Amino acid sequence: MQDGFMNIWLYRLGWTYVLFIVFLLLAPVLYIVYISFNEYTFGARIYEFTTDWYTLILADKILVASLKWTGFLAVGVMATAVPMGLLAAKFYKSTRHKVAFVTLMLSPLFVPADIMGSALLIYFKNINHAVEAFGAFLGVTWFHGFLQLGFTTALIGQIIYTVPYAFIVILITMSRYRDQQTEAARGCGANAWQAFWQVEFPQIKVGVFSSLAFVTILSFNEATRTALLKGGFDTFPNVLVSQMLNIGMSGESYAMAGIMAVVSMVFIGSIIIITLIRARGIERKFQPKAEPNPIN
Amino acid sequence: MAEPFSSTNTEPPAVEVVGLGKNYGPVKALDSVNLSIAQGGYTVLLGPSGGGKTTLLRLLGGFIRPTAGKILLHGRDVSGLPPNQRPTTMVFQSYALFPHMNVEKNVGYGLKIQKKTKTDIAASVERILSLVGLEGYNKRMPHELSGGQQQRVQLARSLVLERDILLLDEPLAALDAKLRKDMCIELKRIQEKIGITFVHVTHNQEEAMTIADRIAIIADGKIVEEGSPREIYERPQRKFTAAFVGENNLIEGKVINVNGDGLTMDAGFAELAAITKKQASVGSEIAISIRSELIRILDGNDGQAEGVQKIPATYLEEVYLGLTTMHLVRLPNGVEVAVRRISDDDADFGGTAGQEIIVGWNREDAGVHTD
Ligand SMILES: Nc1ncnc2c1ncn2[C@@H]1O[C@H](COP(=O)(O)OP(=O)(O)OP(=O)(O)O)[C@@H](O)[C@H]1O
Ligand SMILES: [Mg+2]
Repeated sequence: MQDGFMNIWLYRLGWTYVLFIVFLLLAPVLYIVYISFNEYTFGARIYEFTTDWYTLILADKILVASLKWTGFLAVGVMATAVPMGLLAAKFYKSTRHKVAFVTLMLSPLFVPADIMGSALLIYFKNINHAVEAFGAFLGVTWFHGFLQLGFTTALIGQIIYTVPYAFIVILITMSRYRDQQTEAARGCGANAWQAFWQVEFPQIKVGVFSSLAFVTILSFNEATRTALLKGGFDTFPNVLVSQMLNIGMSGESYAMAGIMAVVSMVFIGSIIIITLIRARGIERKFQPKAEPNPIN
Repeated sequence: MAEPFSSTNTEPPAVEVVGLGKNYGPVKALDSVNLSIAQGGYTVLLGPSGGGKTTLLRLLGGFIRPTAGKILLHGRDVSGLPPNQRPTTMVFQSYALFPHMNVEKNVGYGLKIQKKTKTDIAASVERILSLVGLEGYNKRMPHELSGGQQQRVQLARSLVLERDILLLDEPLAALDAKLRKDMCIELKRIQEKIGITFVHVTHNQEEAMTIADRIAIIADGKIVEEGSPREIYERPQRKFTAAFVGENNLIEGKVINVNGDGLTMDAGFAELAAITKKQASVGSEIAISIRSELIRILDGNDGQAEGVQKIPATYLEEVYLGLTTMHLVRLPNGVEVAVRRISDDDADFGGTAGQEIIVGWNREDAGVHTD
C-alpha cells in the first residue's frame, strides 16, 4: 500500500476522496431506503418509522409473483450464462485471435438495451411465424407458439446481456491459471474432464462463483430487455418501473427499490468480503513453516 | 561405464520416431526427425534455444499432434493417443505442481486416478518421497517449498506411476548453478536405481555432460548428431556440434590435397594438414576444429616436435577464469582463437598484447568437418 515515500497526509486524502465518492454514489440509494421506512413517504414533514410498506409488498400477490419470476429468471441465467461464459473463457485461452474473440464476446454490451430488446422482439416474432408456418406446412401442431414471447424469450434476452460479464469475470481468474498443470494432470493419467474438474476448476472456482453472483444481480436489476420480451409475466423491476411511470412513486415503490438495492449490495458486499478473507488465508499460508528435516 | 544401449535381445526401442514433423502455422519447428532411444538409458536432447527440443518432447508425451510422421513407444504406434494413454509421464520446468494440493496429494494424484486404495497410495507416496529425499514434507503446500524441492515433488509425482518412459523438459533450468549440479547427480542416481528410460531436454551443456548416457543434438528442427557425451565432446562429427559443444576453435578453408590418412586444407594464411578418414574432394569447403585445451602457444623446443601443426598468430589478452586461464590470440585471417590452460600451470605463461607468437596443436587432435 505505502512505499514509505508517500506523504501520509496525501495518502489519507486519497482515502477520504475514495470514501467521499462512494458516499456520493450511494447516497441516493440510502436515501430511498431511508424513505421506504417512513410512514408518510417522500415529501412529508414528519418521519415516523414503519415497516408497513414492506409488509404491503409481501401481501401484494402481483408483487410476490413478480419476485418469483425474477428468481426464476436469475436461476435460469445462472444455469446458462455462467457455463457459457466458462466455455468461452476456455476457448479464449486456446484461440490465436484473442482480440477479435474478445471484441465479439463483448459486442452485446455495446448495443443499447432498448435497441437490443426490440431487435430480439422482432427476431423472435419472425422466427415464430416462420416455424409455425413450417409446422402448418407439415401439418403438425408441435411448433405452435414455439418462440412466443414469454419466459424463454425473456431468458434468452437476459443471457445475451449477461454472458459477456460472466465471460470477463471468469477470464480474469482463469488468466492466472497455468496450463502446465492441466498437462501435468494428463501426464499423470487424468482424462480431459478429470484434469479440468480436479485441477483447473478448484483454482478458478472463485471466478465462477463471482460470475454467478454477478449475473444474478444483473438479471435482478434488468428491466428494459425483459419488458420487451417477457410476454405475459412481470418481473420485480418491471413492476417497479411501470408503477413509477404510471402511478408515480408510492411508499411501496420505495420499499421495492430498497429491497433491490439492499439485495444487490449484500451480494456484492459478500463477494468482496469472501474474496478478502480468502486473500488473507492465502497470505497466512505463505508464511514459511519450520523445516521438518533438512534436505540431504 | 556399462553400455546400457546394447540390448542383447530383440526388444524394441523405448522411443522410435520416424519422419516426425511439426509445424506451427508457417513455422517448421521439427522437420522429419528420425530418432531411436533404447530402453533403460538416460538420453539428453541438447540444443540451442528454439531448436525444437520441447516440441519433440511434447510430441512424445502426446501434448501436441504431429504434422507428419510416426511415434512408436516400445514398438507400439501411439501417434494418435492422448497423454493419459501413453506409457510416458512428464516433468515440467516450473509451475506444474497443483497449488491447491499438498505434497502428498500432488504425488498421489496419478494413483488416485487409477483408483488405488488409500493405504496403497500412502505407502507408495512414502516410498517415493524418501527416494527423492523429501521424507516428512507430506503436508507442505507447493508454495512452501523451495524451487529444488518443488522439482523433487514433480519428479516423485511422475515416478510413483512407474511408467516406462519419463520425459523431463528443462527440469533444472529454474535452479541455481550449485543446486542444478547436485540435482543432476541425483537424477542420474535415481534413473540408475529404477532403470526406466529418461528423456531429458536441456540447453545446458554441462548438465547434459553430467547426466547423459547418450546425447542427441537438436538444432533448427533437426537431429544434428547423436553419441555418448565423450564422443560428442571429443569427436564431434558435424561442424555445428563442434561449434556448439565445448570450446572449439574453428578454422575454415578449401581442401587442396587428399591422401590415404588425411588431407591438407588451405586456410588462406597457411596450409594445415589434418588426419581424417572422412571423404573430402579437392576444392571442397571444410572446417577443422581444435578444442581450446588442446591448442598451445609454442616455444622454441615444442615447435620442433613431430606431428605438430604450427601457425603464426598475434597475442591479444589473458582472461583469468579461476581453475583455468584463457589466452586470446588472433590468426592472420582475423579469426580469434582461445587457448586454455590450467591456471596453476600458467605462472610464467603468456605474452604481451600485440606480440607475434606461434600457436600449434598435435595433428591428431584436430577434427575435420565436411558439413
Ligand atoms: N505454440 C507455438 N506456436 C508457434 N510457434 C511455436 C510454438 N511453440 C514453439 N514454436 C516455435 O517452434 C520452434 C521450436 O520451439 P521449441 O519450444 O521446441 O524450442 P526449444 O528447443 O524447446 O527451445 P528452448 O530451449 O528455448 O525451450 C521455435 O522456433 C518456436 O518459436
Ligand atoms: Mg524448450
